[in-house]
Amino acid sequence: MVEHTPGAYLDHGAATAIDPRVRDAMAPYLDERFGNPEGLHDRSRDPAGAIDAARRDVAALIGADADGVIFTSGDTESRNLAVKGVAAANAHSGGHLVISAVEHPATVAASRTVTRVTGALTTVAVDAEGRIDPRALAAAVRDDTVLVSIAHGQPEIGTVQDVGALVAAVRGAGPRAAVHVDAGATAGLVAIDVGAWGCDLLTLGGGSLLGPRWAGALWVREGTRLHPLIEGGLQERGKRGGAHDVPGIVGLGEAARLAAAEMEARATHMAALGERLIDRLLRVPDVRLNGPRRGRVPGHVQVSAGGVEGETLTLALATRGVAASPGSACSAAGKASPVLEAIGLEAPWTHSAVLFTLAPSTTAAEVDRAAKAFAEAVAELRAMSPLPG
Amino acid sequence: MRTVDALGTWCPVPIHLLAAAIAEAAPGEPVALLADDPLIEVDLPAWCHDTGHELVALTGDAGGYRGIVRRGLA
Repeated sequence: MVEHTPGAYLDHGAATAIDPRVRDAMAPYLDERFGNPEGLHDRSRDPAGAIDAARRDVAALIGADADGVIFTSGDTESRNLAVKGVAAANAHSGGHLVISAVEHPATVAASRTVTRVTGALTTVAVDAEGRIDPRALAAAVRDDTVLVSIAHGQPEIGTVQDVGALVAAVRGAGPRAAVHVDAGATAGLVAIDVGAWGCDLLTLGGGSLLGPRWAGALWVREGTRLHPLIEGGLQERGKRGGAHDVPGIVGLGEAARLAAAEMEARATHMAALGERLIDRLLRVPDVRLNGPRRGRVPGHVQVSAGGVEGETLTLALATRGVAASPGSACSAAGKASPVLEAIGLEAPWTHSAVLFTLAPSTTAAEVDRAAKAFAEAVAELRAMSPLPG
Repeated sequence: MRTVDALGTWCPVPIHLLAAAIAEAAPGEPVALLADDPLIEVDLPAWCHDTGHELVALTGDAGGYRGIVRRGLA
């Protein structure tokens, strides 16, 4: 048994425990139900049926048809499949891509790779809260645009976009462009309806569902041209080769089923505690909230503390038993976050961010301990700083 | 019409995917196939000939091929 200092674990965006009910659903597929779902014998029937059921549960969570769900190794693979797969399948009709300035790094990297030679990539600016203007998005769409990518919930600053309005704007500007929505930060926490939105592809992963992080899905609307990223098999109708991760897929499906039933309660709890945390953090002098106060991913709080470096602050929190992430949950480097630059922040604010991500299991006591530790750590670091306060 | 999307896959995957869909189709039911492996120009007529299904159409453009196969009555 690993012992942890009593404090607060508020880094669920980076890693969170799998729901015990999900783990129980997965366990038999690591044991006696090990069969190959592609096989023709008795051992194959149960795994094949379990994958079908998971496909239906994932589809139900997002208001989609089950046939459009492609299982992947997580939301990063889904983003890569969406960008590279659509670009490859539509190379004959154009190669221009549009992304927002606040996309996940995987979407940005995949889009840059696809357009490395042509340079046919347009990045649409956002406002000071990270919101995309539908008119600006429409203006970026060209006759040769094949894909527009939009992050539903921004994984660093938590901004939730009005996806329906953005998809409608793209449709009005260029009906040939497919629209990819990245729900890696929101699936299971914010309602998703691909039918109402009218998008063509949607990325999700197990983490936000309290399922396995190494399982994810890309939903693709029928008629959307997509090439596989991983080739070599008939799995997922040829769109994603390689042996199925049956335990992971079963876990993703069960997590999606539970999230659909419990979404409102989870979101309400996490949003309330997120507000509580924001209130307490902003009581510390010279601290700003990054992203909007309203319309954020539930339980997602990023702040910048003036005069304090983000990674140093995160380490100071860790010594007090509080787990958080410096700036982004996905990377910790010396460079300023492009997302913080996109919302207009400048140094030192771009280098002083700390991200707290809550879960349904988070308690008010944890939030209060984290806020207290934050105030102490900021005061201590400022007192040590050679810079004038 | 049921459509098999085999875009981005290479021989023999398109024929495998089509065969699975044809197996689920009713006798006489047409199934469409989308593919962009040029070998489909050879594979699809040959497979239909061998299996007794009717190749109704096979057309191509810059985006690939669209075939229509009607399941045999047998």
